[in-house]
Amino acid sequence: MARSVGADDVTERRTVWGAAASSFADRHIAWLLVLPAVLLILVLSIYPLAYSVWVAFVNFDFEIPGHAFVGLKNFQQIVDDPIARWSLVNTAILSVACVAVEFVLGLLLALAMVKTFRGRGLIMPILILPLFISPVIVGQFWSLLLQQPFGPTNYLLGKLVGQPVEIGWLTQTPWNFIAIVTADAWQWTAFMFVILLAGLTSIAPEMFEAAELDGATPWQTFYHVTLPLLAPIILLAITFRLLDAVKLFDVIYVMTGGGPGASTYTASFYLYQIGFQQFHLSKATAGSWIFLALSAVIIMALVRRLLRPEVR
Amino acid sequence: MAGLASARRSPELRLGFGTLRLLYVGLFLIFVLAPLYWVVITSIKPTSDYLAIPPVWFPAEPTIVHYTAALFAYRGLAGLINSAVVATVTTVLSALLGTLMGYSLARFNTGGPHLSFWVLSQRFLPPIAIVLPVFLLYRSWGLYDTRLGLILIYTMITLPLSVWMMYAYFRQLPKEMEEAALVDGCSRWGAFWRIALPLAVPGIVVAAVFAFIFVWTEFFFALNLTSRNAFTLPTIFRAFLGFQGAQYGEASALAVTSLVPSIVLGMLVQRHLVRGLTLGAVHG
Repeated sequence: MARSVGADDVTERRTVWGAAASSFADRHIAWLLVLPAVLLILVLSIYPLAYSVWVAFVNFDFEIPGHAFVGLKNFQQIVDDPIARWSLVNTAILSVACVAVEFVLGLLLALAMVKTFRGRGLIMPILILPLFISPVIVGQFWSLLLQQPFGPTNYLLGKLVGQPVEIGWLTQTPWNFIAIVTADAWQWTAFMFVILLAGLTSIAPEMFEAAELDGATPWQTFYHVTLPLLAPIILLAITFRLLDAVKLFDVIYVMTGGGPGASTYTASFYLYQIGFQQFHLSKATAGSWIFLALSAVIIMALVRRLLRPEVR
Repeated sequence: MAGLASARRSPELRLGFGTLRLLYVGLFLIFVLAPLYWVVITSIKPTSDYLAIPPVWFPAEPTIVHYTAALFAYRGLAGLINSAVVATVTTVLSALLGTLMGYSLARFNTGGPHLSFWVLSQRFLPPIAIVLPVFLLYRSWGLYDTRLGLILIYTMITLPLSVWMMYAYFRQLPKEMEEAALVDGCSRWGAFWRIALPLAVPGIVVAAVFAFIFVWTEFFFALNLTSRNAFTLPTIFRAFLGFQGAQYGEASALAVTSLVPSIVLGMLVQRHLVRGLTLGAVHG
């Protein structure tokens, strides 16, 4: 008798606790659902960033023992380093060049592919294929094609101009810049292309019909109808590309190794060299904060305005 | 809206440059295919053919020795296994956490615009700013050069993608069915678990595939957070840098091995490519 009462008691207590727990869970479902993701970002992004603030102000260098506070010395070292400044300029040059080339090629491709023609369905998967390949491998591709003296590019160019061509695509300026932009454009033109194509197909056909009725030439239609209607999506595509292009690293690492000298250093490559090759971790961290602050300016300016889910 | 596979037939862009258009598309196709052709050919060339002038466009005696060398001598197989394990586990975790958070953002507007923007901003952080402190912390936490360490950082890095893709996906799912279930006495968890989640499966699959492709092709974090044990496939290309001409075959064989899985997966999600590339902001 007593035993069964006790058992009932336990079950009841359990259901009471269960009900309380489930009502707690139900009331706070919104925050419980975001909790795991937010925790992970806090532990692996926010905490490391906070930790790196400390690293940037102390001595954390595998060549010098101890972690003494050094104030702004690490930042000073970066600012005083001509290679750091060159890397930053280079990042700007290369990312703007890459994005510009990709935008022009991608827009032309989108305009060429927007109407159906026979074989379009077969061509489409090939055009987007580069997006699914690791940038390291893309760098490897172009190293193979451009290498001197056994690569096929110089040989074919030689046939074309009728005399031997001996361009050191990976070892001579400005050819190494052209090689890097080519490799990057090979991979990311498809990015511009698919987004701009989506934009083009979403423009109502009536707009073009109206322009045609008004007797607009194709160029006028493009300039006064297509381009303004496409503007928001062009901005979005360029923003997304630019934010990734400033991180340029993989292709440089494989194709030129930053060289010759430091001529093709980008910000990411420079900081990698300082941090992971020379192990001046505090100097690299201070540099990465400067880079982060500069990127944040672009992010704030561009993304906040663009990335509402309402953008279509 | 029309997907990538179809386009309208209306005369919307009668540029009148029919031939020029096809010529451009043709040239672009050659531009895209040439490196792929060359890498496949290089991977099956006998070593003596690399250093030939004029270049050998098609080897007389194709060989697979570079594949076996890449997989075994250069530890390509170990890298392949690491990549597969890390990418698979990351994909599951990222899709799970992304779905939970995406649902919360879409249905309860949790944290207002600040929380969703905060997650998104992670997508645009320079990786070098994260990888330096994470490298130091991983060394003291014992996570340096482990698969677990890579899985955790990759899950974090792919979260903006998963969260925002699922956020956009849940927003376009009608919420009437969940509301009806709540009226019938279903708990909120029940409405999420039994009503919304089954409807979201196609969206989850697409987000998961994009996360997988990202991890499979990622280089920078793997380069700096692994060494002899947890190294992934892309990091093996370190071994082929410089002017060691004798290794073009191995490098190419490894490249071919590595690009096949991600291309196959990419083809499966090509209809959703625009959403994937813009984190759900643009519908293709």
